[in-house]
Order: sequence, then structure tokens, then C-alpha cells
Amino acid sequence: MRALNTAATGMMAQELNVQVISNNIANMRTTGYKRQRAEFQDLLYEHVSRVGTQTSSDGNILAAGIELGSGVKAAGTPRLMTQGELVRTGKDYDVAIRGDGFFKILLPDGRTAYSRDGSFELDAQGRLVTVQGNVVQPGITIPQNASSISINAQGQVSVTLPGSNTPSQVGQIELAKFVNKAGLEGIGDNLYLETPASGTPQNGTPATDGFGNLQQGSLEQANVEAVSEISELIAAQRAYEMNAKVISAADQMLSATANLMR
Amino acid sequence: MQSPTAGLGEPVAAAIRIVRPREGRRLADSKGEKPVDNASLVGLSRLVALEREIDVVANNIANLNTAGFKSDGVVFQEYVDETASSGDPTSTDSQVSFVYDVATWIDLGQGAMERTGNALDVAIDGSGFLAVQTPAGERYTRNGALQVNANGELVTSAGFEVLGASGPITLQPTDHDITISPDGTISVREGDNVKTESQRGRLRMVGFEQPELLLKEGSGTFMAPVDVTPQVDTKSRLVQGTLEKSNVHGVVEMTRMIDVTRSYTQVANMLVKEAELQQAAINKLAEVPA
Repeated sequence: MRALNTAATGMMAQELNVQVISNNIANMRTTGYKRQRAEFQDLLYEHVSRVGTQTSSDGNILAAGIELGSGVKAAGTPRLMTQGELVRTGKDYDVAIRGDGFFKILLPDGRTAYSRDGSFELDAQGRLVTVQGNVVQPGITIPQNASSISINAQGQVSVTLPGSNTPSQVGQIELAKFVNKAGLEGIGDNLYLETPASGTPQNGTPATDGFGNLQQGSLEQANVEAVSEISELIAAQRAYEMNAKVISAADQMLSATANLMR
Repeated sequence: MQSPTAGLGEPVAAAIRIVRPREGRRLADSKGEKPVDNASLVGLSRLVALEREIDVVANNIANLNTAGFKSDGVVFQEYVDETASSGDPTSTDSQVSFVYDVATWIDLGQGAMERTGNALDVAIDGSGFLAVQTPAGERYTRNGALQVNANGELVTSAGFEVLGASGPITLQPTDHDITISPDGTISVREGDNVKTESQRGRLRMVGFEQPELLLKEGSGTFMAPVDVTPQVDTKSRLVQGTLEKSNVHGVVEMTRMIDVTRSYTQVANMLVKEAELQQAAINKLAEVPA
């Protein structure tokens, strides 16, 4: 009976849905996290009798055929790259992006990763690094004796050095942009990698060409909305239960068939 | 007779009774006597039809959370087979009716609108479809969860290119703040320009005079048969930041499922009873009086 398999595809799809939702909820407080959404599509149809088939020699056609679907499949779990809320932290090296860009982060293996998480720190050499210690690209070194660090909306990093009244610029934060942000590959640690689907990164300075402004002393929260995730979770759970019921209904019918012969 | 659930759409096939005396002959005894297993055959026709229906219900429930999915229903028909009466082989006054599933129909009713806030999600308010380009040709969809691919082209989640009223729609890497107006016009802010909008094309929305003739092809797409031509739909509106959910009603499908399983068990029981009856008849008739 086809219904058994069809319902099984439904259960698998809803299982994936719950997985995605639970990951979103788990990352509700993760800086720069972008929520994912499970998208589904119907599977192929068997056209048992095709609509439009001629049913008589005088040209009558079938007004509706018989189509039997075979269930559902997951089409993808794209990330929804909408802007998260900015929360004021007051910390000098916390930077939030208001717009489309990504910070460029150098991984230990030499690859460049992209991130929306701007909770930076300084390492022993005074370089601007992520919490994991990966260097922000292009490298920016803050002199040891510098005071009052300021990062403006355009990404210029300025410090005041002893014996000087005017701030001097020590670096410029660059951002990267993708034509298809949803196509980036998440690798954990709030980092994304470029993929053939995302397109190649376009580099630029903040506050130009739609790269987004930087805001010092703020962090971008996850764009997860608890209420919508919970309602999605309820819908997914109920859909899972209904698919399970279909399996037991199909089973009941099969057992009735088996009992035909006594 | 099973009729589609009322209130969710109109069944497309209205013919209920088809009389085809000649074709059906082989199922019955043309010599006059009704065959003993007629009841079993009628029951069997019902079981086969119910199996089809549970398949359709299972597919609907599996797609309970599939955006833009349209549920299917089943239409059953009575298949009247006229058998000659024993007294007069030429008269056809004795009828046996079988059941068969004549069609599945697509419920094209509007699904629930869910607000997502995602700029590339569009829901169609109305009876229109979005035109997409698949490797097999032009197809139509109600699933408006759009994405941008690496070339900046607007695609569906299956990767099919969404067609514009005048050619494909391509976004530039510097585009931001995408707006999709109710008539499908896509406008963006380009680069540093925050005052004026640039247009990137208009989504091609089509309608059909007989949408019930569309064929489902999976991946949320519908195919138009050769003699069904899409027309430009100006009545439907697009709602940005919203997705049309599946129009499957969980409660309706569960009720149908209960109905199907109960009927199936009943008919199966009837078949068992019929078999017992035949067994008893054989035993009875075989008793030769001494």
C-alpha cells in the first residue's frame, strides 16, 4: 500500500522540521545567528489516468485524471538573512552590522570565513580577533598605549595615542557581500563559508553600496522569534502525529485484507 | 457513493452514472444467471477504490506543511453493469453496480497566509500562479518562497528560475531593500542610492480558465496540458513577506481517513461473510440425499 510510504515521507519531513526549529530555539541568544527554515515540496505524481485523455471516438476528453502523489521531500533549509535586533553592550570591540555585509574572518587553515558576529577581542599582539582568536580581515592592530578606541559607521578604526589630541586612524574594517546570502554554508562558530550557490564575495567598505553601517558598542541578536518558532513547532508535531495515524490506518486496512482469508 | 467533502471546492466530474453494458459483460454471466461471486466482485471494486483514496489522503497529510500545496480529492463513480435476467436473456432489467475511482481533483482553494517577514516570500492572493522555468519547460507554482541564486536570478526553492513578464529577473550584487509590489513589480535600492528605486522586472502571474485541468508534477509545480493556455492574470495580488501554507485541512483529512478505514474493514468483513455463505452453499448442495 502506497499510503504507508507516503506517510513515512511525511514523518521524515516533519522530523527534519522539528530538528531545524529546535536548532533555531537553541540559538535564540546566539549573536548574529540567522534562523533557518525547512522548506518542503511534494514528490512526483503518478498519473494513473491522464487528464485530457480521449475517452470516446467522438472526441470526449477526461475532464479530470487520477493523480496519485507519493509524499513530501525537504527542498532545503535556507537561512533567513533578515536583520537581527541590535543590543547595546557598551563594549569597545563589539560591532554590529546594520545592513547586508559580513565580517571577513581568517581561519587557521588560510580560508576566509564570513560572520555577522561582531563580538571582537584583542589578542596578545593587539590584533582584532573573534572570540575564537581568528583574525579579522584585513588585520587591524591596536597599539598597546592607545586609548579611546572608536569604530565609526564607515568602519574606520581610530585611537588616541599619548601626547596627541587628535585621533589617528589605525585601520579600516572591510565587509563582504553576497548576491545570495542564503546560499552560504554554515560551519558553526557563527561562521559561514562561500559556496557556488552564494556567488563570489564582493568586498567593500561599510556604509557604501549597501554594505551596511557599523555600530560600535552594539551586538546583533539572533533573528529568531520565539513565538513563531513555538507555533511552527506545534504545527510540525501535530503533522507528525497525523502522519503516524495514516500509517496505523493503512496498517488496519492491510490487516483487514489479510483477514479476508480464514 | 463517496462524494468530495462539501464546502472545500467543487468536484470537476459531475457525471455519476455511466452505463456501459457491452464492456462490462465479461464481469457478469451473459447466459442469464448471475454469477455467485458478484457480491465479492462488487466488494473488491470498493476495496480497490478505497486503497486509492487512502493513498490520496496520505499524500495530503504528508504535505500538511508544504508551502503552496493544493490538496487532492477523489471522485468515485458507479459502474453499472447490466446483466440479463434469467427468464429473458434479451432483457437487461437486472443491474449490478460496481464502484470505481474516476478522478482525483485538485482543491485549488486558498491556503492560509503566514506572515514570515522575509522579503523574498510572496503569497498569491487570488487564483493566479507564478510562472517558472524548469528543465522540462514552463511550469506554474503557488509556492512563493523565492530565493536568489549565485547569478542573482530569482529562483524557487527547487532552483527553478522565476519568469518575469519580460524575461528573467536578475538582481545585482549591490541591490538591497527588495520590494515586491502587489502587481509583482520588483524594485530595489541600488548601492548607495537610498532615495530612488530601480526596477528589476515584474513577476509573470498567470491564470487559467480551467485550472482543474492542470497536472501536478511534484516540487510544487503544475503543468498545463497542451490545450490549456495560460493567460495574464491581473486580478491576483502578491503579498510580500507572507507565504501561502498548504490548503490541506488536518481535521478533514483525518475524518476522511477514519471513513476510509471503517468502510474498508466493513467491506472486507462483508467479503468474508460472502465467502462463508458460498462455503455453506457448497456444503449444503453437496449433501446428496441417501
